[in-house]
Amino acid sequence: MPTSAPEPLLTVTGLSAGYGKIGVLNGIDLTIGAGEIVALLGPNGAGKSTLLKAISGLLPRTGTIIFGGQDMSSASPRETVNAGLVHVVEGHRVFTQLSVHDNVMLAGYGMKGRELEARVEEALAFFPEIAEKRNDRAITLSGGQQQMLAVAQGLVRKPRLLMLDEPSAGLSPVLVDRVLAAAAQLRDQGTAVLLVEQLIEKALKLADRVYALARGTIVLEARTNEDDLPNRLEHAYFGQDVSAPLA
Amino acid sequence: MTDATASAPAAGASWLGKLEGKVSWILLGVAGLLLPLLDDSYIGVIAQRAYIYWVLSAGLNLVVGYAGQIAIGWVSMLTLGAYTTAALTAGTATEPWHPYLALIAGGVVGAVAGLVVGLPALRLRTFYFAMTTLGFATIVTQVALAWKSVTGGGVGTPGPVFPWPFDPGWGFYYFCFILAALATWMTANIASSRFGRALVAIRDAEVAAEASGIAKPKLLMAVFLFAGALGGVAGGLFSSLQSYITPDAFTFEISVLFFIAILIGGRGSILGPALGTIILTALPEFAAPLVQWSTFLYAALLLVIVLVIPGGIADLLDYKNRRPLEQHREIAPRQELLGRLLDKSDAKHTIALKDIALHFGGVRAIDGLDLEIRSGEVQGLIGPNGSGKTTTLNVISGYYAPKSGTLMLDGRSLPFGQPHLRARYRIARTFQTPRLVGAASVLENVMIGGTVHGHASFAEATLALPRNRRDEKLLHEAAMQALATVGLENLAGVRADRLQHSELRFMEIARALMLRPAFLMLDEPAAGLSPEEIRRLGSLIKAISREGTGVLLVEHHADLIFDICDHVTVLNLGKVLAAGTPNEIRSHREVVSAYLGA
Amino acid sequence: MFQSIISYGLAVGAVYALIGITYNVMFSASRVFSFTAGMLGMLGGVLGALFITEWGLPAIVGLVLVLACGAVLGIVTEIVTVRPVLKSIDQHLYVLSTLAFALMIQQLTAIWWGTDARPFPRLIPVGAGWLDQQFWLPMLACAVTIVGLELLYRKTLIGRAFLAIAEDSYAARALGLPETGLRMASYALAGMIGALAGFSGAEILLAFMGNQAILNFYGFVPVALGGMGSNRGAVIGGLALGVFQQAANFLVGGIFAAVAVFAVFIVVLLLRPEGLAGASAARRV
Repeated sequence: MPTSAPEPLLTVTGLSAGYGKIGVLNGIDLTIGAGEIVALLGPNGAGKSTLLKAISGLLPRTGTIIFGGQDMSSASPRETVNAGLVHVVEGHRVFTQLSVHDNVMLAGYGMKGRELEARVEEALAFFPEIAEKRNDRAITLSGGQQQMLAVAQGLVRKPRLLMLDEPSAGLSPVLVDRVLAAAAQLRDQGTAVLLVEQLIEKALKLADRVYALARGTIVLEARTNEDDLPNRLEHAYFGQDVSAPLA
Repeated sequence: MTDATASAPAAGASWLGKLEGKVSWILLGVAGLLLPLLDDSYIGVIAQRAYIYWVLSAGLNLVVGYAGQIAIGWVSMLTLGAYTTAALTAGTATEPWHPYLALIAGGVVGAVAGLVVGLPALRLRTFYFAMTTLGFATIVTQVALAWKSVTGGGVGTPGPVFPWPFDPGWGFYYFCFILAALATWMTANIASSRFGRALVAIRDAEVAAEASGIAKPKLLMAVFLFAGALGGVAGGLFSSLQSYITPDAFTFEISVLFFIAILIGGRGSILGPALGTIILTALPEFAAPLVQWSTFLYAALLLVIVLVIPGGIADLLDYKNRRPLEQHREIAPRQELLGRLLDKSDAKHTIALKDIALHFGGVRAIDGLDLEIRSGEVQGLIGPNGSGKTTTLNVISGYYAPKSGTLMLDGRSLPFGQPHLRARYRIARTFQTPRLVGAASVLENVMIGGTVHGHASFAEATLALPRNRRDEKLLHEAAMQALATVGLENLAGVRADRLQHSELRFMEIARALMLRPAFLMLDEPAAGLSPEEIRRLGSLIKAISREGTGVLLVEHHADLIFDICDHVTVLNLGKVLAAGTPNEIRSHREVVSAYLGA
Repeated sequence: MFQSIISYGLAVGAVYALIGITYNVMFSASRVFSFTAGMLGMLGGVLGALFITEWGLPAIVGLVLVLACGAVLGIVTEIVTVRPVLKSIDQHLYVLSTLAFALMIQQLTAIWWGTDARPFPRLIPVGAGWLDQQFWLPMLACAVTIVGLELLYRKTLIGRAFLAIAEDSYAARALGLPETGLRMASYALAGMIGALAGFSGAEILLAFMGNQAILNFYGFVPVALGGMGSNRGAVIGGLALGVFQQAANFLVGGIFAAVAVFAVFIVVLLLRPEGLAGASAARRV
């Protein structure tokens, strides 16, 4: 798979965003090709979640975002979702008072009844353990199951790019593998994945490419099969040895 | 640059500002004094009504404009004062009282009612409080209708007639004028004292107000008492002006008039609301065809103000703050000035946390934490998101009460909760997102930090007694000193919301320094700063600790932490993962992996 | 007398409950408490009397028109007074914007309809005494509303979307739910419920612009006591409030009734600001 496909699925140029007066992101450039898994790493407070929110339209931003040839620089979350760019936000924020089935169904809001039902079943099929509980309210699920539910919500629309924000947070190692395996399965079906992950080793194993973010800027871009990656990441994070070659 | 030149622009601006303000008041006063020369009793009545409304609005202005409490039903104070004065004078409930005594009684009843209605504001959310005042107004009217033996029910009751020297006609006119002037003077005194700044701080930055030692309940209760009393007195005057009162006279629309007058004049101004009251009272009288539509127009005006100019006319006219600021400003702290600001002492203090545990719902935010902050040292606190750093800070500064564990200052236990008491122990802090009063000047924002050092009481401030003036002078000097120390003295007179993010961070530090803190806790002070600013911040923090202050630094910027900390504690999942010198931590394998998440 | 306390109290209580539900529906969609709830109730009665008595339209047409007007006013409320201030919801400007809008409508009513209370027609000449229409109509309206809302929330996708936005509007937005459209729909729904409340209770409360303030307050009391967003709390609280008020009116007089309700309201809120059934507040720092 090439590092930069001839026509990337997502091209982000000069993206800046923040909260009110506080600028968090500073001129981010980033591309994602169709069907590749890209890991987004970086220390806490670096702006990883902010970057996902800026791309999906949950935060106001400046800069250009081209997705699938379409200019989505000022798109609302609804528009990005409809275009096939789905963002699973961090913290498995499912609707606890609704059933598992209804949670997944809401992710396909606006789709036709029969097609929606079929998509809901497909999404649930990724996670048999929550498919079993389709009629239970989401509040009865464990944290890990809620995370699966959140990912399942992201699958309903068969996105071209799925952005997962810390899908492993708070999960047991077994569940982490289950969730990440779903990401690999998606890639095989042609869906690109942008993954924010704390478990670096697992993320590097899964991903094709990696971006490291520190203090609001991209400090490293690499393919995951390059040498000495963990060391270079560490340097990039701590902001030391800036003279060291980055790529 | 010396201190004198540094403070000159701010002082000059405020001198001019003072004169500008005074000119308007003098003009208003002269107009009021000379109005009887027109010998037009119709205009006289309108003016009296305007004065009476202003007596009430002046107090309400402190509640609404300064403290930001949406008391939409304050007309109930007018009703209560009016019926109390009228009923006592007429003797329907007791032996007839002297009208002046009855007027005072009206003020007392208003004060008590103000307190009763105000109490919920201490605990309730904004809308609930608004609804409480509205409900109170509804109920006062219902009672006035139902309690026929005292109020005359729907038929009404005659209002009092004040004897000489304020007998009906121009005598009563001057009575209203004097009381309006008095109300103006007193509210202006409160507004410009540390209590006024505290009210605004409660409105716009409640958490920072508490951290600065401002006790919201006490202050708000004083203001509600005061505003209620003014409302009651206004009611007494109103009943005399009306000469006959029925419940219909106290419609909710009057409340709206008061409210718009304050909002259109601008929150945090006295002159604006005063002019607003006068204009809104007089306008329908001179535009007779509009009378039927007046309430509709008031309501429409309210909607427009809220949606289009929430800052009121005062904001629109604030040319001083329209002047562009210098584009490329640099913050150059002068830590050599710290010595003058902080009392350097060799006394050693220690804050010690032992075995602190705190849960939010089922989530363990902190789980058995030990931590010490010592005088003259910088203690760093790092860890991934959700590891409990800010929560720890909030336990120390009293926002959270942990489930178990001890928090000791020099061996004596610090009570959990009660954030407003921390300032007395000289424990200061800043916030992850700067908490500031955007509409106040940078100087005023910093002065808020020294609130606990004032000595004058609320009553002394109301009457502008010498002790209050001394407080003001000292606070002003200290705040200029603090601003010079962090390198912001040139921006002292600027509205705080015009500052850049990095400047706000330094302003918060200046505010914290006003406490002359024994301990200073900084919550991610470097977030959003440029590398050069972070470097300056680092040496400022270092200098503060050298003056003997114990610093707790919560940060993500690893390089800053490793640069300036004497001791670093790493949290993970609410527990201490490692603690030691920066060098020990840097080489700690587990830390590197937890912090990086590998 | 007991019978009349109960029938009268439950009828008025049902109106309070419906106004409470109106508050809830708007709150769930936007986290905004809107002063337009009482206005909708007031208009339900006034417009009903206008369409049916003045214009002579059939009762059912009158009802449909009243509901349509409620829906339109709900949407206007959302567009004019709620959406512009949602971004800075911390400043609570909605308190003033919704109040201002409600007052404008009230004043228009005062100008065109008059400030005096006018009678509301008896629509269905069935039943007498405590089985009279004026007593059962509000109860019926309340029951229909509750069943209807339950069906909406349980059986339809848009109803579930309402629930989703009420629980976590950020997550709902991230999923691509049309937040603005759903909010407008909620306000339209609230408009219909509020108008229905006024329409059904107007034979007792009359077609009177002064009802606005009264319904605003007494409709909010059950919501505040029962916990914001809880329709069950609003219904139980509303009915209890209505009966309590009537009992106090009959037994000890109106002064006591008014003061007692206010005192209970303040005391309960001071002791439990989140309401008797609500959850405690979120973290601040």
